[in-house]
Amino acid sequence: MSNDNAAPSSSSAAANGSADSAAPRRNSKRPKYSKFTQQELPACKPILTPGWVISAFLLVSVIFVPIGVASLFASRDVVEVVDRYETACIPAQNRTNKVAYIQSSANKICVRTLTVPKRMKAPIYIYYELDNFYQNHRRYVKSRNDMQLRSNSSQDDTSNCKPEDLINGTAIVPCGLIAWSLFNDTYSFSRGNESLNVNKKDISWKSDRDHKFGDNVFPKNFQSGGLKGGGSLNESKPLSEQEDLIVWMRTAALPTFRKLYGRIEVDLNRGDTINVTLGNHYNTYSFNGKKRLVLSTTSWLGGKNDFLGIAYLTVGGLCLFLAVCFIIVYLVKPRRLGDPSYLSWNRSPGGR
Amino acid sequence: MSGGGGWERIRSTRGGRLSRETSLTGRTARTVRLGRVQPQAPGYRTIFCNDREANLPVRFKGNSISTTKYNFLTFLPKGLFEQFRRVANCYFLLISILSMTPISPVNPVTNVVPLSLVLFVSLIKEAFEDWKRLQNDMVINNNPVDVLHDQVWETIPWKKLQVGDIVRIKQDGFFPADLLFLASTNADGVCYIETSNLDGETNLKIRKAVERTWDYLTPEKAVEFKGEVQCEQPNNSLYTFTGNLIIENQTLPLSPNQLLLRGCSLRNTEYIVGAVIFTGHETKVMMNSMNVPSKRSTLERKLDKLILALFGTLFGMCLVGAIGSGIFISSDYYYLELQRGVGLEFNPSSRFSVAILTLFTLITLYSTIIPISLYVSIEMIKFIQCAQFINKDLHMYHVETNTPALARTSNLNEELGQVEYIFSDKTGTLTRNLMEFFKCSIGGEVYGTGFTEIERGGAQRMGAKIQEVWVASIAQRSPHAVHEKGFNFDDSRIMRGAWRNESNPDVCKEFFRCLAICHTVLTEGDESPDKITYQAASPDEAALVTAAKNFGFFFYRRTPTMIYVRESHVEKMGNITDVPYEILNVLEFNSTRKRQSVVCRYADGRLVLYCKGADTVIYERLADGNNELKKITREHLEQFGSAGLRTLCLAYKDLNPETYESWNEKFIQAKSSLRDREKKLDEVAELIEKDLILIGATAIEDKLQEGVPACIETLAKAGIKIWVLTGDKMETAINIAYACNLINNDMKQFIISSETDAIREVEEKGDQVEIARFMKEVVKEELKRCLEEAQHSMCTVSGPKLTLVIDGKCLMYALDPSLRVMLLNLSLNCSSVVCCRVSPLQKAQVTSLVKKGARKITLSIGDGANDVSMIQAAHIGVGISGMEGMQAVMASDFAIAQFRFLTDLLLVHGRWSYLRICKVITYFFYKNLTFTLTQFWFTFHTGFSGQRFYDDWFQSLYNVIFTALPVIIVGLFDKASLYSDVSAALSKKYPELYKEGIKNMFFKWRVVWTWAFFSVYQSLVFYHFVTISGTSGKNLSGRMFGLWDVSTMAFTCVVITVNLRLLMMCNSITRWHYISVGGSILAWFVFILIYSLLRENVYYVIYVLMGTFYFYLTIILVPIVALLGDFIYQGVERWFFPYDYQVVQEMHRNDPEDNSRAGLLEIGNRLTPQEERSYAIAQLPRELSKHTGFAFDSPGYESFFAAQLGVHAPQKAWDVARRASMRGKPKPSKKH
Repeated sequence: MSNDNAAPSSSSAAANGSADSAAPRRNSKRPKYSKFTQQELPACKPILTPGWVISAFLLVSVIFVPIGVASLFASRDVVEVVDRYETACIPAQNRTNKVAYIQSSANKICVRTLTVPKRMKAPIYIYYELDNFYQNHRRYVKSRNDMQLRSNSSQDDTSNCKPEDLINGTAIVPCGLIAWSLFNDTYSFSRGNESLNVNKKDISWKSDRDHKFGDNVFPKNFQSGGLKGGGSLNESKPLSEQEDLIVWMRTAALPTFRKLYGRIEVDLNRGDTINVTLGNHYNTYSFNGKKRLVLSTTSWLGGKNDFLGIAYLTVGGLCLFLAVCFIIVYLVKPRRLGDPSYLSWNRSPGGR
Repeated sequence: MSGGGGWERIRSTRGGRLSRETSLTGRTARTVRLGRVQPQAPGYRTIFCNDREANLPVRFKGNSISTTKYNFLTFLPKGLFEQFRRVANCYFLLISILSMTPISPVNPVTNVVPLSLVLFVSLIKEAFEDWKRLQNDMVINNNPVDVLHDQVWETIPWKKLQVGDIVRIKQDGFFPADLLFLASTNADGVCYIETSNLDGETNLKIRKAVERTWDYLTPEKAVEFKGEVQCEQPNNSLYTFTGNLIIENQTLPLSPNQLLLRGCSLRNTEYIVGAVIFTGHETKVMMNSMNVPSKRSTLERKLDKLILALFGTLFGMCLVGAIGSGIFISSDYYYLELQRGVGLEFNPSSRFSVAILTLFTLITLYSTIIPISLYVSIEMIKFIQCAQFINKDLHMYHVETNTPALARTSNLNEELGQVEYIFSDKTGTLTRNLMEFFKCSIGGEVYGTGFTEIERGGAQRMGAKIQEVWVASIAQRSPHAVHEKGFNFDDSRIMRGAWRNESNPDVCKEFFRCLAICHTVLTEGDESPDKITYQAASPDEAALVTAAKNFGFFFYRRTPTMIYVRESHVEKMGNITDVPYEILNVLEFNSTRKRQSVVCRYADGRLVLYCKGADTVIYERLADGNNELKKITREHLEQFGSAGLRTLCLAYKDLNPETYESWNEKFIQAKSSLRDREKKLDEVAELIEKDLILIGATAIEDKLQEGVPACIETLAKAGIKIWVLTGDKMETAINIAYACNLINNDMKQFIISSETDAIREVEEKGDQVEIARFMKEVVKEELKRCLEEAQHSMCTVSGPKLTLVIDGKCLMYALDPSLRVMLLNLSLNCSSVVCCRVSPLQKAQVTSLVKKGARKITLSIGDGANDVSMIQAAHIGVGISGMEGMQAVMASDFAIAQFRFLTDLLLVHGRWSYLRICKVITYFFYKNLTFTLTQFWFTFHTGFSGQRFYDDWFQSLYNVIFTALPVIIVGLFDKASLYSDVSAALSKKYPELYKEGIKNMFFKWRVVWTWAFFSVYQSLVFYHFVTISGTSGKNLSGRMFGLWDVSTMAFTCVVITVNLRLLMMCNSITRWHYISVGGSILAWFVFILIYSLLRENVYYVIYVLMGTFYFYLTIILVPIVALLGDFIYQGVERWFFPYDYQVVQEMHRNDPEDNSRAGLLEIGNRLTPQEERSYAIAQLPRELSKHTGFAFDSPGYESFFAAQLGVHAPQKAWDVARRASMRGKPKPSKKH
């Protein structure tokens, strides 16, 4: 066991880390002492004792439950009105072939009526929600040219944009599938006879407006090909002011997504009936996509989002439950810390 | 030994800082492979000695050597080639190439950056190692040597030496090349060389020059030497050489006797002159060198399986995605414009090609599942473990020989933590090959006060704190106690002439004279007690003669017929007389006789036969009567035996001249007989070696290496089985096994020996076929019997432990394929196995039997060239460094100075390395799987298009920056600090913990599955929690998050969680852990804060995110939810199914932090030293052993090894002795 019978002095010197001052032999290969090489760095050694486990659970539940409650409340405060309209807005006789209808040049105005369930404080955000729309498809995501969007000088740069890159040999601005498939349903709102103004300013992220979309880049050749993918753009406005496009081009993460359409800047009262005059132009019928119109207020947390609150509450609750379980186990079947009988060679007789 | 050091020494005198590099030569690992001779090149070479111009046309190679792998030009191509021989690197190269094609969803940077970083690091490491080799070569090449030039000796560096040069080598110098021995300052043209660098043997060998060249000694004469040497082409056979020396039209045959090999050194000779024959890489030692077969650890092989499993997973994931994409693709998604201008990749009309191409796309996307930086990280970790921890461990630094431990490969660190079988050489490994006269019994009285290691060990097991006792016992020794090489004895009753006052001084006198006269030792050096050295074939003999010297019977000179002894205190105190004894006959020792006798005539005409030998043979030949003495002495012998000492009985017999003369005639007749001389001599000896009178017995301690029994006991507790494989005889081997605690009397011994009467009988008939058949039959029967008994005793609950002793001859048959299984079964049931008289090849065979047959992890440890094959055969080879030759070290993977350092090497470094590497591997597995799975889940939501979830740079830096450092820190520091996991001291205190490694508890598939399960869980949490909360989330002003916002959030969660998970798996947390984990997370934030200002798609995302509450709530929620599963699992596991180390850790949780490894060894003592001493003595084992090992290896023991190689031993030891003793006489007048 003791390996330093022969040279107690030397190994105790080693242990103390004192420089071997007694005889610093020349050419000595004696390794230099350092806490690193002798693997003696100071460290804490956390032992996951039941105490720790239980207190960790308790701590988590103590923190999580209030957060969960708070965010649930915040989410409850948000008033959301959702109206699915993709089928409703097609005249009954056309419903057998919706795609043909949407591609026809018929008048696609449709009026929807919404009832406000609860008082909604301004600003009220208007969203459209699409479904089964793969904005995150690999072919779709990369089908844009950021250089072209940003600066006038590179407007002929249409790499990545295929097949919506050129028309008759000249560049499309903005090019690519994303821009081409710009959402073009329109909404206008009225409460009784009072028309509600939709503010479409400032609906995009400022960073996008300022950085990604140039104020000297104007749309060119857009939607002038044979097949129209979606909405068209005002060629006299620079891209940085085409906020619908900017919003659209911040591609969504999942195939079901909402995008901001505008804001209503008056309060809506409970029971108000809102008439929505809806220009149903966008084709989601080819791929059976749903369309929804959403009116929503926001809270400090953002929009209506029960998920976070529920998650917090669940985790907090679960931790509390586990803490109780562990306490019970601790009381019913205690294990002394460092009980040698738990050592494998003590557990199995004759293991040696 | 004067020869210690070898190469090592040369270099250390040339600059200590290079000492480490020296040993690193091992990486290129040049080594002697024994017993395998390359086919020789045809033809011969002609060398014109002393004539550089004449040799010029032949263009012999120079004498400089190079062991480097690369040079400046070849470094890059060759180094890269080496790197791409690794499958992982090839895979990533392929992926990188794939990622340059349009089907790739990711930017090439994703794969190219990590790959280049990995290659860069590996290449730097290679360059660094090669640089060290270069430096080392330069040191060797620049050693000075004297070469003849213009009639004077001129000093030039080794590398400038050329074939044909005449060189002078001084005493203790190394031969710079293979030399033809021409002349020596010794008479008879002989010189003595030490070959320890070649074969590890430290005994001197004689070389003799051809008589014709003896005169070319001085520069003036040597310059006249114009010889022509015709000899074989360079080859690697160390023991053969043929050639002719043509000198003045006279052809003289040359033999190995005239060849001085590079690597050997000159001893006991002032200087020699030689001609260079082979140089540099053509020398025999260099021709023998070859790369050590690189070993891979078992863990790494298991890792390969894991990687394969990952490939399987990868393929499965890709297949799912590919099928999905084939189903998904449809022109209904008009916004994807799949009708026109679309390649095969997305063409809805050819779904199959879509699926195939998507498969490749996804392979590129999911390539992160194979952790690219794993290999380089492990390599780095292991390298630092070797260079910083193992090589610099002060606990493995041996002060006496100034040797630190040395890890020569960094591949096998973790293998050290899983060793189950240790194969150990005996001499030089377990023992010091140092015999010390320790005790004796004279006329029924025991003298000598020491304790042997085994006695100490026994006492220690009884619980006595022996260390203090031992220290105390040293302190109590009389100040006059002599301790020199071969003599470790103290008893004031007989030292310094005090024996004259004992009750039977005459017996004492006979005893001492027997020691001083009855031997074949020869003297060397000055004829004074301090300066003389004894050259003996066996160290036992030297120890006995040294003992006689210390008792006042100083043997100082020998001639072929006389022995001169300087006797003091014989007549009266202080009186010194030189007494000559005429040696009439020497009846030599051999293994059947087990005794040795000398007939000598005193000056006064008294005729005595002195005899010493094994107790059994001596007792048979004692005269009747004096049974009391016999009985007492027998008891003493048993007592010595149980203390692990080697005993010899001493006896004498007065002869009367007539009987002697008649016997002598028979003796001379026998000696001159041509047939069966040995046998006849033995028979004649029997005639006179009878009716002996017992004098007493000697006990020699075959000095164990320090701490060997304790070490073996610790290792045994750790579940490691130790086998001793030795070339020694069975008695010696068993003796040592007793001394080392490998065998004790409680154990059941199975002995399979070829030294039985039945076998001898068959052997005498001489029919080889019959012998083989008979032997095989016997061995088979024995094995069967033993196996049955073993199985029977295994069935009983408290059956005795088993041990197997087998000798080389039987082993040869037992290793036969038909018996091998039986041997294996038997030996695996035994807790220790001793194989004696085995050849180097058999050592390797036994090792591979266990390695391959039982699939256990084996470690071989040895010190000499005869251990090389065994060292290379085992999973891990350990060489004992600092003592003798370098061959074992050169072939080994680790070199330590002492056997006992194995505890540190295995239980501390091995165990830790194993744990750390396991953690590193499983963690790598986990983090990459988790990361890749989030990608995988995303694929389901992108129409299986293979869109990447994360930005290119996130993905490429994930492995090399955001999660790289902490895991390396774990690989280095985890459990590094005290009392975390289990400190070094505790590792040794609870050797059982080591079993966790043997059972591979930390890298079983179960462990991997657990990690995989939590990986899946966590990735689901990451992906779904973040996407759900992210897509419905918006900021205060109602704006929605896009793809890159969500993915950045998810990535943030992944980085935080994965790094925190690392902290959870640490058993000890140093500040480096905090720094690296914190640093990694911080690095991510710093990176994204800067990066998001630069890149288009992730522009400003982090600022957008950080402006919302969502972000903060998510990055608190997600890591905690993700880690909750692991936390519960760990809590439950620890609580209900703790690992052993965790329990031990808990037991010592309150120990003070500053306890160092050594600190724990001193357990408080409250007894006074006196009390302790008496207590310890009382605790000493008292039961007598039935085993009395006898000392005295046969003088031929060193030639045994040579015989195994098929080389005839050149001289009998006795001839060596005689020749050497004559050297001391005045030189013949012929010289000057």
